[in-house]
Amino acid sequence: MLKTQSENNLKTPQEINQVLSTTGSAYQLKGTTRFKRNMRHLREALFSDAIGAFGFLLLLAIILMSVFGPIWFPLDTISNPEVILNAPSAEHFLGTDHLGRDIWAQVVSGGRELLVLAFLTASIAVLLGLFLGSLSALIGGRFDEIMVFLADVWLTIPRFPLLVVMSGFFTLNATTLAIVLAVLSWAGLFRTIRAEVLSLRSRDFIEVAFMLDMPKTYIIFKEILPNMMGFVVANFTLLMRAAIYAQVGLVFLGLLPLDQNWGVMINVAWNQGVIYNPDAIWFLLAPTIVICLLILSLVWIARSMEEFFNPGLRK
Amino acid sequence: MPKRLQFPLFLLRKLLKVAFTVWVVTTLIFFLIRLMPSNPIEQYIQNLVIQYGMSYEEATSRAASLFSLDLSQSMFAQYLEYLKDAVRLDFGTSFLSPGVQVSEIIAARLPWTLFTVGTGLILSFIVGTALGAIAAYRRESWYEPIISGLSSFLSAIPDFLIAIFLILFFGVFTWWGRGSIVPIFQLRGNYGAGVNIGWNWPFIKSVLDHSFVPILTYFFSQIGIWVLLMKGSTTGCLNADYAVIARARGLRPRKILTSYIGRNAMLPIATEFAMRLGFIIGGSLIIEQLFVYQGVGLELLKATTNRDYPLMQGIFLIMTIAIVLSNLFAEILYSLLDPRIRVKGGSKHA
Amino acid sequence: MNTNTPHPTNTVPSASTVPSASSVASENAKGAAMDPRPVLLDINKLSIEYRTKRGKLKAVHEASLRIRKGESVAIIGESGCGKTTLATSIVHMLPRNATISGGSIGFFPEGKAEIRLEALPEKEMRAVRWNDIVMMFQASQSSFNPVAKIRTQFLDTFQAHNPEISTDDALNRSRELLELVFLNADAVLNSFPHELSGGMKQRTLIALSLLLDPQLVILDEPTTALDLITQKKILNLLNSLRDSCGFSMMFITHDLGIVTQLADRVVTMYAGVVVENAPTADFFSTPLHPYSQGLLRAIPKLNATFEQLYSIPGSTPDLVDKMDGCLFAPRCAHCHARCLTEIPALRQTDNDRWVACHLYEEVTHGAY
Ligand SMILES: Nc1ncnc2c1ncn2[C@@H]1O[C@H](COP(=O)(O)OP(=O)(O)OP(=O)(O)O)[C@@H](O)[C@H]1O
Ligand code: SF4
Ligand SMILES: [Mg+2]
Repeated sequence: MLKTQSENNLKTPQEINQVLSTTGSAYQLKGTTRFKRNMRHLREALFSDAIGAFGFLLLLAIILMSVFGPIWFPLDTISNPEVILNAPSAEHFLGTDHLGRDIWAQVVSGGRELLVLAFLTASIAVLLGLFLGSLSALIGGRFDEIMVFLADVWLTIPRFPLLVVMSGFFTLNATTLAIVLAVLSWAGLFRTIRAEVLSLRSRDFIEVAFMLDMPKTYIIFKEILPNMMGFVVANFTLLMRAAIYAQVGLVFLGLLPLDQNWGVMINVAWNQGVIYNPDAIWFLLAPTIVICLLILSLVWIARSMEEFFNPGLRK
Repeated sequence: MPKRLQFPLFLLRKLLKVAFTVWVVTTLIFFLIRLMPSNPIEQYIQNLVIQYGMSYEEATSRAASLFSLDLSQSMFAQYLEYLKDAVRLDFGTSFLSPGVQVSEIIAARLPWTLFTVGTGLILSFIVGTALGAIAAYRRESWYEPIISGLSSFLSAIPDFLIAIFLILFFGVFTWWGRGSIVPIFQLRGNYGAGVNIGWNWPFIKSVLDHSFVPILTYFFSQIGIWVLLMKGSTTGCLNADYAVIARARGLRPRKILTSYIGRNAMLPIATEFAMRLGFIIGGSLIIEQLFVYQGVGLELLKATTNRDYPLMQGIFLIMTIAIVLSNLFAEILYSLLDPRIRVKGGSKHA
Repeated sequence: MNTNTPHPTNTVPSASTVPSASSVASENAKGAAMDPRPVLLDINKLSIEYRTKRGKLKAVHEASLRIRKGESVAIIGESGCGKTTLATSIVHMLPRNATISGGSIGFFPEGKAEIRLEALPEKEMRAVRWNDIVMMFQASQSSFNPVAKIRTQFLDTFQAHNPEISTDDALNRSRELLELVFLNADAVLNSFPHELSGGMKQRTLIALSLLLDPQLVILDEPTTALDLITQKKILNLLNSLRDSCGFSMMFITHDLGIVTQLADRVVTMYAGVVVENAPTADFFSTPLHPYSQGLLRAIPKLNATFEQLYSIPGSTPDLVDKMDGCLFAPRCAHCHARCLTEIPALRQTDNDRWVACHLYEEVTHGAY
């Protein structure tokens, strides 16, 4: 009792550290520093080259626009037959659509759904890939062989046509689409993560953990995952890209009933024959350009991550 | 294992894998159709009953003949029946155009897709690998960043957005008051209205006119990848020991570039090319939709929106088979090009 | 005192004169007393710099050495002291960011006029490579093109230098050489590189290197990737081939055992500078330069305990820094005032022996 009291009365950080290290909480301390180190690593990776930093800022800008933009530029809820398919003007920054609604407001609001979906898809897919990939690599043997074979088989199924065919059988909504997309992309991620884990595994500190017979879950979460941060971020952004491609593609084909996003805008603009009406071309061009920007930002982030963590790639 | 037997065994293993993959996909499709909560066959039957006032039995037999399924059999027997047909590439008849074989429809659409996607693929491969090699050899030139930058830009952007940009560029925007480069009507369909189909010049010209921008789309959507792949592969070989030693041996630079660096750099690229051949059949659904190009992809789309299940099945299976076969082709090609693989036989993936 | 000076014009260390063909020829005549063999390669005050992010890195600084016909010269020194840089500069295969910033490399092939290698255009250099001078690189595990048969690669080499030779003649010559290195010639010729073991590959490479009767063979750590027994075999092979074929050899190694077996002469480098150049026997019996002495002390004795293992204290200097004084001074036990201000020149102390150290100024016979 007395001792605890005195511990609580410690003043200087050095004293606190000393006690922590003698009472076994040192591990905790080490854990946080490792986390910090990883975050710093990630930050370094992002800003190590101009393109990656630019991609990151671009993505941030798109996210901010999608989150806060609608507050200043609310969607027109009613149509205005007097300003149908107008050219850009002071009032309508990018012109109006076929119902006389402001296009800029639609651009501002059209990213949220895509981003949330892409984020959801990438999260599920990364978790799935991490789980299966590291499990397969760590268990090895027959299990690993079968998983690799299944992944090979899976990779030969054409993904987008399968999505199209499936949309003929189910009505997909935003959430089911995220799950389906994530499940569909398991094989590719499984393979890359498995390879990464295998190469990590052969490194000294992991071998030591194995020799000490630490629990596999411990090794995965404490030793392997922290060392795959950059790799995971790179794959995460690439998965987001694939998810956006699939969503916009399906929406454009009219196979996915989503309500307000850039893909829908392209679809409507296309079906309204905007290409014959150069005045209203921003109805088509604006969503196309923002999708390009979003995808480029993701690819740039992924590339700078890969280059930072795998410098051999560049030369 | 005697060396003589290694290659046939390798081939056998690969063929078994092909068969397995095709079987998985076929089975997947069968159960998608038969077991889904909104069973399309059941739906179809109900539809016939409600819309045309058929009796349930009548509608069932109609559905059975359409799907070439005997619905009175057990599920397993139906499955076997279905497999047997699939092996013979007999996918039954189309829903929408009753009496027309699915394989006939595919055969009619296939040449168009093969032509556009194939031409785009080959052109992008040739130009892309050449540019990639140049980018690798001339790493310090002023134009290398331009080649590489444009390539990564093009390889990042989805193909259908490239298509939209190209349509706007060629068909919509007017340049210096002279109108658009390609008349917009040429950006829809496979050939113009009113030309006689056959080997005559107006028809061929019309086909070429209509396919120009679609091919360009396939070209631009793939060239970036070839440039980046080739650049990476060549750069790796440039610094390889054997390339340095070849130079120390006093070989002529041209010889080193072709036989030593080029040959090795092409190994993975050629394999990738072989693999992508399989995607020719599917083409891009969205691009065919954008150009209203009557190919396999657009047909799959139409089949899907119209719930023409036999046609969907058939096209999807053909697409998968093409990809599986091209993968097989790629592996065989690689084993032929790279003597190191040949010895290991089929153990590469084990 | 100065009677044995090889270059009377070069007695002043800073003199910028380079030996001309005639000066070497006169030296050959005069030097008959010390070594009757004619000079094949004469590197004189050669400096090489790398352009790096931190500035110019002086990898080799005013290095001079001479290789005679049939002689075998070992280059030793710590990792990073510029051995590979010096050797690769001879055949102009330095990395892109390297430049020869001074000095000369004179090559005196038998029966031909002197070739000044340091300024030779790439086209003419190509003809010299492998034909006259063979350079084998450090740790080249995959020296052969993996997708071509050995046969093709032998023929390619002939093709590059002597397109007129018939395929049959070329193959016969290849077989002859492969047999000389104790390989089954036909089997090897029809193999792909990966079908040969590491030692076989090394021997094949040696056969390939002798294909055009080179006059100088440069080997950068020729055997480090091989096991001890194979190493020994290859070394014996090289030794006997040198006797029978009569080429000169310059090889880089970290293994002083190999030096005693193979070398007639040892050149010690430290931080880009040649600090000592001595006949092998003299070098091992009486190393002059404090760095050489340290190197020899660092050889583990069989009965040494761990504590007794000697290593030279300190570490090599940063080659980007500006140098004044002896580069070895921070680690030298004999360092005195002069060492910190004046760079010691490479001076002759004896018949055929040079050292760059202020300790030997008195016994010196003149600068290199
Ligand atoms: N391409 C390069 N760019 C910049 N500096 C280089 C380059 N190559 C070598 N160096 C530097 O030049 C110096 C000499 O390198 P070199 O390869 O000649 O050493 P070495 O004596 O052969 O070493 P080792 O015994 O390890 O092979 C080193 O300090 C090295 O860092
Ligand atoms: S010159 Fe001086 S510092 Fe340099 S090695 Fe000789 S004694 Fe040592
Ligand atoms: Mg070296």
